[in-house]
Amino acid sequence: MRGGKSYVSAPPAFSNDAKRLLVCTGATVSIFSTSTGLQTSSLEGHKALVTSIIVVPASSPASKVLCFCWTSSLDGTIRYWDFSAPELMKTIDVKMPIYSMVIPSILGQPANDDEKPSQVFAYMSVEETKVQENKPKALRGQIRKCNLTDSRLAGGLILGETQRPVPIIISASGKFFGTQSKRKLLIWKVPAKDSVSSVAKKITLHHTKNLTVLAFHPTNRIVAAGDVTGRILIWRGFGNQTFPIGDKLANGRLIQHEEERPGVRGDDDADSCTTWHWHPSEVNVLSFSSDGAYLYSGGREGVLVVWQLDTGKKKFLPRIGSPLLYFTDSPDPTLSSISCADNRIHILKMPSMEILKSISGIKLPCSFPEVKESPCSKFAFDYSAGLVALRMENYCIQLYSLFDDREISEIQVCERNHQPGDDVTVIVTLVALSQDGSMMCTTEVRLPEEDIGALVCLKFWASASQNKSFCLSTIIYEPHRDAGVSAVAFHPTRNMAVSSSYGGDFKIWVCKDDIQQKSEMLQNSGWMCHAVGSYKKRPMTAVAFSADGSVLAVAAETVITLWDPEKNVLVAIIGEMQESIMNLSFVGKSEYLVSVSRGSKPRLAVWSMSKLSVSWSYKLHVEDVACAVDSSLFAVLVLPKSSTVDSNESIFQGKNGVILLFNATDPVPVATWSAREASGGGVAFIQGNQSSFQQNVSPEFLVYMNGDHEYVVFDPNDSDAPELSLTRPGHVVPEETGQFGYASIYGELPEFELKKNQSLLGPSGPSERPWETLFSGSSHNLPPLTKLCSAFLESLLEKRTAIVE
Amino acid sequence: MGSLNIRDLLTAFSPSLDFFAISTGDGRIKIWDTLKGQVQTEFADIIESEETSIYKKQERGHLAVDYTCMKWFFLEAKKKKRKLGCSILVLGTGSGDVLAVDVSAGQLKWRVNDCHPGGVTAISFSRNGSCVYSAGSDGMVCQIDPMTGNLLGKFKASTKAISSMSVSPDGKVLATASARLRIFDCSNNKKIQKFSGHPGAVRCLIFSEDGKYVLSSSVGERYVAIWSIGGGKSASCVLPMEHPAVFLDSRCIFSGGVDHAGLYVLAISEIGVCYFWFAQNIEELRNTKPTKISMSSEEISSKNHKGALPTIFAAMLQGFSKPASGQLFVAYGLLVKPSFQKILVHPGTDIKLNSSHDGVLLPMTQSLAKSKKGRDSQNRVIALDRANAEDALLPIPKMLDPHEEKKRHETLSIDTDASMLDLVDKKSDAEFVKSEVYIEVETSSICLEDQLRSLGILSKEDSSTSEPKLSSMIFKGVDLEASMPQKKMKAVVLSKSPEDAYKLLGALVTMWQSRSCSGKYVIPWIYSILLNHSHYVVSQEPATQMLNSLVKVTKSRGTTIQSLLQLSGRLQLLMTQIHKATQAKTQLENDDQMDESDAEDEDVNDILYREEDDESELSSDDDE
Repeated sequence: MRGGKSYVSAPPAFSNDAKRLLVCTGATVSIFSTSTGLQTSSLEGHKALVTSIIVVPASSPASKVLCFCWTSSLDGTIRYWDFSAPELMKTIDVKMPIYSMVIPSILGQPANDDEKPSQVFAYMSVEETKVQENKPKALRGQIRKCNLTDSRLAGGLILGETQRPVPIIISASGKFFGTQSKRKLLIWKVPAKDSVSSVAKKITLHHTKNLTVLAFHPTNRIVAAGDVTGRILIWRGFGNQTFPIGDKLANGRLIQHEEERPGVRGDDDADSCTTWHWHPSEVNVLSFSSDGAYLYSGGREGVLVVWQLDTGKKKFLPRIGSPLLYFTDSPDPTLSSISCADNRIHILKMPSMEILKSISGIKLPCSFPEVKESPCSKFAFDYSAGLVALRMENYCIQLYSLFDDREISEIQVCERNHQPGDDVTVIVTLVALSQDGSMMCTTEVRLPEEDIGALVCLKFWASASQNKSFCLSTIIYEPHRDAGVSAVAFHPTRNMAVSSSYGGDFKIWVCKDDIQQKSEMLQNSGWMCHAVGSYKKRPMTAVAFSADGSVLAVAAETVITLWDPEKNVLVAIIGEMQESIMNLSFVGKSEYLVSVSRGSKPRLAVWSMSKLSVSWSYKLHVEDVACAVDSSLFAVLVLPKSSTVDSNESIFQGKNGVILLFNATDPVPVATWSAREASGGGVAFIQGNQSSFQQNVSPEFLVYMNGDHEYVVFDPNDSDAPELSLTRPGHVVPEETGQFGYASIYGELPEFELKKNQSLLGPSGPSERPWETLFSGSSHNLPPLTKLCSAFLESLLEKRTAIVE
Repeated sequence: MGSLNIRDLLTAFSPSLDFFAISTGDGRIKIWDTLKGQVQTEFADIIESEETSIYKKQERGHLAVDYTCMKWFFLEAKKKKRKLGCSILVLGTGSGDVLAVDVSAGQLKWRVNDCHPGGVTAISFSRNGSCVYSAGSDGMVCQIDPMTGNLLGKFKASTKAISSMSVSPDGKVLATASARLRIFDCSNNKKIQKFSGHPGAVRCLIFSEDGKYVLSSSVGERYVAIWSIGGGKSASCVLPMEHPAVFLDSRCIFSGGVDHAGLYVLAISEIGVCYFWFAQNIEELRNTKPTKISMSSEEISSKNHKGALPTIFAAMLQGFSKPASGQLFVAYGLLVKPSFQKILVHPGTDIKLNSSHDGVLLPMTQSLAKSKKGRDSQNRVIALDRANAEDALLPIPKMLDPHEEKKRHETLSIDTDASMLDLVDKKSDAEFVKSEVYIEVETSSICLEDQLRSLGILSKEDSSTSEPKLSSMIFKGVDLEASMPQKKMKAVVLSKSPEDAYKLLGALVTMWQSRSCSGKYVIPWIYSILLNHSHYVVSQEPATQMLNSLVKVTKSRGTTIQSLLQLSGRLQLLMTQIHKATQAKTQLENDDQMDESDAEDEDVNDILYREEDDESELSSDDDE
């Protein structure tokens, strides 16, 4: 089960009757109903990000019901769909990633229906993948032409080259298209009789700032462009010389040479250039209304501005709350849509600019300013309800249902307004949800202004009802004096939580309504400090409760201290790692504890609680770890070290992460999946929803969420089932099965088990980079058959037991 | 709103339970998002919008439409893999039309006009979704293709008006009811069976999950009747209720796990109380007392709602997490703002629900701000500042400290954790052969002491206190109280790792210098270590300093050794002479000697002397 796609990776498109909105969502195109805001169907077929959608416009009112569209994708194909069915009609393989595509000829063909349908050409912005080695600064972006009718790339025809692929914008009449490239606008005129060989003519308009966006007037020769400083430039009468209009040729040229051309730079081919300046920062959205009387613009500050083109008068739609990315007009003049950076598409009722419906997806990762000594939790997962809690830029936390792929609610953590352009002064750093999802804990850090006024704040929230409307129950200011909070965790069964700090102590908090539950006065609940503990004043870096809640593990930098949370008694100390431990978690119903340390000597270690020693460990750079609640499985998301990425590129094939599923008793992974965009990603186990009547125990699913907040939910025990290869993260190349090629043939290499025996010191294992040794071994380096055979058989046996479970 | 009568309500949950459709009789259908608890869409004039294009019956507004029945139907498109097969809401109207609304697209999907003259009374479909059945007051049953809305067939089921109708989940059997229940075979529309017993028109009629039982409840009757298909003519079981039922749901699990096997019946009465029965089989069900789920009486008695009472108006059996207890998905509260909740029902424990006080008209975000004042009184936010955050119930951590050397082999009587600690000991003694590891464990125990000290449990001391502890560990096998044969000494020294031995060397040297131990026993050890671990000692950086001082000391002692030996001999000679001489003088002279030796001791200030001195003392003692 996949989800969490970005709705705003590319501009959406309306269908001809404006009842549907086609949205690029990753490798698929989702079709939403504009009246309800619900998804009705999807176009599936592309293997990589879809970059543009072009709905074939209706040439007559009768053909309004026709639902055909062209899509282009980074997988190098152009596809033609009937999206009412939805069916794939045609695929054209260009073999170069397409970043943007326009098809001029379908737009402005009015009456000549009697003619044989002429050949359809697409102009697209592609990335040249075959980089010549003698040209280090190769211009990677190219604008090429493709004959869609007979599916051929117009050979050797490169209209322009840019440093990187740029979006192409087309005029509504289909006569011009253009791109912006740094400080220039490149505009081409589409030849009237398009054929393979005909080259479009080009003009260039210059500006002193980097341009960000451009738009063509639907009827007149007016082009508008926005720049990084927030100015909007409008060139009128561009290209009158280069692209003459019939008879007026001589006349126009004469006049122009005599006229002064206000605002036009150099010998740019335009009549005049005017500048409007309202936006404080870069302009992202620019679009003319369909009649050409208005110009819509928007930028980072989240305000849609409507300019009256003739007078320059402005009207605003403020409080959109997020930077604007795209504005799309529909064939229906009363509807349009704006796409916002918070992964939300608003459908606007047009003259009044009311928001009719909002289609909101999972919040996209946003950049938070780095806070000294306070890590940020990436996600918090609600185990029982299958929710994920994500931090948002505007001091909110979004709860997102993984199974339904829908937003549940937003919780405002700090009582303050957020404007997209503002400086962020408060950052929500940590989020934790209790296992039943009824309680939430957040920490926020107020950034110091000139080194004063920094404040750390811990908040406990209680869920009121099913629909997850959390309300604040307790605020604790400066829970650990001046020190930042490093981790928070909830007790699995009781109303107890623990927070640890870099100041060298941890505090156990309990909710008072434990006692008052009988009198049904639940409202009067509050959290208070139950116990304080510290270990040698060392910074505490991670905390975890065991599955039954009887043991609390606190990592004090390099050692793990075990406590009885109830009595505040230090039970034992185990250690010692070489780098400070960043993550601790108990493996469900087993006696094992998993610790993760990062840094120069990353290590994943599994500790046995009965022996109080390392059971086994790997030298892996672990991004995230998740433990199943009901079994002894745990999953880790592993990143290859940056140095190994280059050498292993062929192995990882663009997938920069691996999810390994381990049984805690056994260092050989039970299953392996490769993952894309793994840095900043996370894994978690969640409980399956209980709607199925047949299964008495709802299975646990594994969730993998990548750095872009796309996620996939799958059953880890089904690792050999064929359908998993479909739902595996990141569009996996089909020849890869559950295990990697090498491992699947020979089993795990014995060398890979770096330190199975119980030694605490000495990283002098042979496999500094396990992946490298695992995969780049040539055939003559293979271990002797006797060695491999046992490992192979062992791995087979392990797999079998895992399936039985 | 007036007084609420949930008899007139039409409700339907979407198959995946994420949406809830409700129609209150004014021709509008509201679709609620059960996850968010907000209105997703409202269909006011579906017919209107469609018909304006056809230019007829324009005078009909949404109030003119009266829906009589509503079912949410899940269309499984065959080629689609998942989810996005569309779900349609099938509606019957009082004028006899059957409509299907595609909820996610917000459009009318199809419509069958005047299907049942006199009004549609019931709609039903089987779980496999092959066709939709509708029944009307004309006594006909129509079979409709859910994809297109084409009429597939119709047959006359009754001469009277049909009040309710249901299709079994497998789609093979169909039941219609007016006052009398009739069971039909779907394949040939032949009547199989008749049940009579209800005095009035049956309001709700459903099949159990396995299609073996039919549950029915008629208007004005305070019970649910269960009829067994293929069984006797009379009701096989009657479940009494306090008010007539308006809604029924049932699950029957006999094939699944043994734990869940049983019959689950759910009913909602006219006043909005939900009844839940569970029994292993139909015989038991007869005697089962229902579990009731209702709004809490406090809520109802409060006058907040101006006549409209919060009730439960829809429920769905969702699953079973434990034997005999059901998971319900309930819509409750006020009609204008229903709340949705998953409830786990255990037989025998009645449940009261509280309705939320959130604003019903304002959207959630605004209502939060508005109702804040009211909420503050109920739900105080407790704020703890720095001072409050400090006072904990257990401010000082205690320690389960097994690491004291003397405690090591004692039995620990703390609790479960003791076993772990024992294991530490065992491990450090037995498993860890490597001395490196051994030291590692020990340093951690020292850390513990530091910890104790930092917490004020131990008094502040220099780190030197831990030194002897350390050395006592290294001194394993080194007996400083008795002389050992050279060979044995060598064996012990060799058994130590160079590092360990080096530490021992340092400790011995300091001991010797501080004279805390007899030089006689220390020096051979130093000698032995230097002999056997010379390589390692040489490689150590700080060793040179130590060795230098050692050389100095030994040299300075070496220079005096000759004279000391002479002195010793002299003394011995004197002693024997004294012994032989008169007894009276002995005491005095001996004292003199002692003084002398003490003085010399201070002058030389070394242990070698001391050693000699000790020997002399010993010998003199012996002599004495």
